[in-house]
Amino acid sequence: MGSFRREKDEEEDGPTNAYQNLEKTSVLQETRTFNETPVNARKCIHILTKILYLINQGEVLVPREATDCFFAMTKLFQSKDVVLRRMVYLGIKELSSIAEDVIIVTSSLTKDMTGKEDLYRAAAIRALCSITDNTMLQAVERYMKQCIVDKNAAVSCAALVSSLRLAYTAGDVVKRWANEAQEALNSDNVMVQYHALGLLYHIRKSDRLAVSKLVNKLTRNAMKSPYAVCMLIRIACKLIEEEDIPAEELADSPLYTFIESCLRHKSEMVIYEAAHAIVNLKNTNPRMLSPAFSILQLFCGSPKATMRFAAVRTLNKVAMTHPAAVTTCNLDLEGLITDQNRSVATLAITTLLKTGAESSVERLMKQISTFVAEISDEFKVVVVQAICALCTKYPRKHTVLMNFLSGMLREEGGLEYKTSIVDTIITIIEENVDAKESGLSHLCEFIEDCEHVSLAVRILHLLGKEGPFAVTPSKYIRFIYNRVILESPVVRAAAVTAMAQFGASCPALLSNILVLLGRCQMDPDDEVRDRATYYLNILNTAKPELYKNYIIERENCSLALLEKALSEHLHGDLQTHFDISVVPKAAIVKPEINNDVMLVTSSAPRAPKITREEESAARLAQLPGIQVLGPIHRSTPPIQLTESETEYTVQCIKHIFGRHVVFQFDCVNTLSDQFLENVRVELTLPEGFTQCAVIPCLKLPYNELQTTFVIVEFPQEVCFSTATFGATLRFAVKDCDPNTGEPDSDEGYDDEYMLEDLEITVADQIQKTKKTNFQVAWDAADSEEWLQAEDTFVLSAVNNLQDAVNTIIKILGLGAANLSEKVPEGTHLHTLHCSGTFRGGVEVLVRAKLALSEGVTLNLTVRSTDQEVAELITAAIG
Amino acid sequence: MGMLHNLADLIKVKKDKMTILVLGLNNSGKSTIVNHFKKSSEQVAIMVPTVGFLVEQFYTNNVSINAIDMSGATRYRNLWEHQFKNCQGIMYVIDSSDRMRFVVVKDELELVLQHPDVSNRTVPILFYGNKSDLEDSLSNVKIAAALGLEKIKEKPWHICSSNAISGEGLDEGVQWLVQQIRFAVLSNRYGAKITKHHK
Repeated sequence: MGSFRREKDEEEDGPTNAYQNLEKTSVLQETRTFNETPVNARKCIHILTKILYLINQGEVLVPREATDCFFAMTKLFQSKDVVLRRMVYLGIKELSSIAEDVIIVTSSLTKDMTGKEDLYRAAAIRALCSITDNTMLQAVERYMKQCIVDKNAAVSCAALVSSLRLAYTAGDVVKRWANEAQEALNSDNVMVQYHALGLLYHIRKSDRLAVSKLVNKLTRNAMKSPYAVCMLIRIACKLIEEEDIPAEELADSPLYTFIESCLRHKSEMVIYEAAHAIVNLKNTNPRMLSPAFSILQLFCGSPKATMRFAAVRTLNKVAMTHPAAVTTCNLDLEGLITDQNRSVATLAITTLLKTGAESSVERLMKQISTFVAEISDEFKVVVVQAICALCTKYPRKHTVLMNFLSGMLREEGGLEYKTSIVDTIITIIEENVDAKESGLSHLCEFIEDCEHVSLAVRILHLLGKEGPFAVTPSKYIRFIYNRVILESPVVRAAAVTAMAQFGASCPALLSNILVLLGRCQMDPDDEVRDRATYYLNILNTAKPELYKNYIIERENCSLALLEKALSEHLHGDLQTHFDISVVPKAAIVKPEINNDVMLVTSSAPRAPKITREEESAARLAQLPGIQVLGPIHRSTPPIQLTESETEYTVQCIKHIFGRHVVFQFDCVNTLSDQFLENVRVELTLPEGFTQCAVIPCLKLPYNELQTTFVIVEFPQEVCFSTATFGATLRFAVKDCDPNTGEPDSDEGYDDEYMLEDLEITVADQIQKTKKTNFQVAWDAADSEEWLQAEDTFVLSAVNNLQDAVNTIIKILGLGAANLSEKVPEGTHLHTLHCSGTFRGGVEVLVRAKLALSEGVTLNLTVRSTDQEVAELITAAIG
Repeated sequence: MGMLHNLADLIKVKKDKMTILVLGLNNSGKSTIVNHFKKSSEQVAIMVPTVGFLVEQFYTNNVSINAIDMSGATRYRNLWEHQFKNCQGIMYVIDSSDRMRFVVVKDELELVLQHPDVSNRTVPILFYGNKSDLEDSLSNVKIAAALGLEKIKEKPWHICSSNAISGEGLDEGVQWLVQQIRFAVLSNRYGAKITKHHK
């Protein structure tokens, strides 16, 4: 009803948009007017405006339409009307990506760009750069160089920014303009200086030495433009992060001294940027932080809302990393709670929540609830995140927080907001046993009235996992079965699965579940019916071991690799049975954390989430002879085999197969005057390993990433499979011209380059799995086929249980079950359960009992289907 | 009647701008010719190959002329036809020393003449036998014969040899072209009047 009224209001008030009811075809018809002589400027401007409006509203022109329109537009160059000409430039820019043959206006634009009319020049440069391709760039290069150093600031800026855009497609040509950009850097105009620095930095970005030279030079003689100084601070920060200078040395480093000196700059923007940079640095100590925090504190009291917002937002971001320092600003933050700007107030409260004491939680929550309805979703998410952090910190406060969250769940909100609330509740349930019951019941209520399918499915899955082990599992059945009656097929299918979990885990409820599942067999949707039939059949067998394998612990293989393995199986010998255990398990892909200290991030869309194994499988499939190795077991994260600033950089990824290992070496040649050929890595193999093939990389030009492979077979005995390899990079060098990259002559000489040693560890060969119910699996493994190895160690290097647990998981590469990787505080005894799959599909279960006395005593029990593997794992700890 | 013509001539046509199209193969000297007509303050010292087209304006023989200087490079020749519709005259520049490419010149000329936007109208065509200062340049008569200009019946045409660098012969040609365009405009108007009377 509310939304209804609003629509009506919109219709009534305000002048209507003159361009609202435009139609594409009729507007395109009107472009015929452009052909009239003499040109009617006023009319044409109007038509061009319509076209631009349409394009910006998302109307799509097909290439044919765009080309016609573009050609008609070229006629308008005959008019001298200034406004019309500038509209034409805009039109060219919009159509340049769709229309064909756009380069025909090159000469016309070049004329305007070098002409006397200043009004044309900047816009012409921008239009020109949008239509130029690589081949045409040579022709306009001379003019671009002139314009970069033009004394008119607008022209110079336009040229610099356009060059920056061109640099993404034609980096080599733009590189030659560095001298002009350098000259523009000395300009008096603030914007020119800023853009020149941007271009220079982009040109030298890949060469760390050149960047640090640039920064060193610029930090010594102060720049006029505050924008440029801000940019310089960001570059300096990036350098500091890359070099990873420890805190003690950082204080004396010239880069840091520069940033620190910017705290006393006269421009507020620069001061803020410097403070923001310092608090976000990785290696800092309290002494370095305090001036930055006092600046932020000062800004908190600023009369300008933007300054307050910036300061509070920064404090909020770093509240978890530097809680002690943020606490010093608490008094100022308290003052901002009642700020008239809601965004500032929200951030202030959430910051306080993150850092505040347990006693103040309730007061702050009450304060938030007064205005939570008024703030936008984006800030509500910030509030939810703060609550999430709070729950981990003060588990005892969960009732207050949980009630608050459930209140928020009931309110209106977008998917992202709701997802963050559900995430938080799930985190609380996982971390805090006491909160489980109340959390689950809140979620049950939520799915009763939830419009987001993805969330409903997630919650149903969680109910299936956690519900059976609650005090009264039966009360969840009603909620779940309601979904079966009321929801869409996707949700119904999830609900059926959840019910089956109850049937498998709670014998008391089994008979009821069977009745309900029987009803689901009448469902109109195929998937729901199939699932119901599947579960019904398994539950009817009354064999608990089947429940375990097919309902409770479903194997979640990586689907892409499973498909590949199956299709290979179909093409191969059909006499043998398909073995699902060799297919790698789907690993949980963690989203990458983006470091946004440097705001100049690449605009490339984020690649879809795939596991490392799937990525490398696609890549390795192209190698000759790779098929015989079978499906890939796991790929390790890359390790650097060289220092980061050497002539050649090499990193290695190990791909483990059933009986082989494929070493992938990613090589980069950082010498611009060398062209490498036949690049390969020579390994010195330890005893037992045999080399199967070396796949060299034929050409390695400057600054390109190319790959070479070595395939090695593991020894027969598993116990010799951990080893160290010496590695040498061998190649033929040809000298070449740094500008063109073409070799000077055909003659080259052989050379070699020592790499760091490589290791294959136990962890490399194990793919971690996550058992949701470890105890069941462990007990089931107490049978004939399973073998056991046991040993006791004293770990003297570690002195607390958490460190010991972390070390064990790291050495063995196993996945911990039932949250046993977290050691509760204040205990002296802990049991770690973990599991994984060894290459070749051998399952491994490990129970590690730890006791803290002087040092940590460890009793390790390994159960595996292969004796050698079990022994290898016990040996790995010792 | 003749008096009236002259009067109309004085009042109307001079106010109008003329749009002419400058065509020809690459490196025949089109941009250089246009450059010569421009005011000395606007002239460019270095000529570079035109990409696409350029619109230049100059004043000569009491008319302001809008010259659309098209690129002659092979890949841009298909753009010529886009401009046929709204031009009143064509200036076709030939490199008189480049005998090898006379065949190409002829082909391109035929394509222009066959285009519906040109063949159905009376468009005067001025040919410049450019680079006449070079030793191996051909004379007007020989060029006309090589290109088969005598076959052009329904359009007024004229050929004169020129040297775009010194400016020799250029003014003579343009004078002719301007005259022809004026004449064409008037006869169109006159024709329109007659048809009106008939009705």
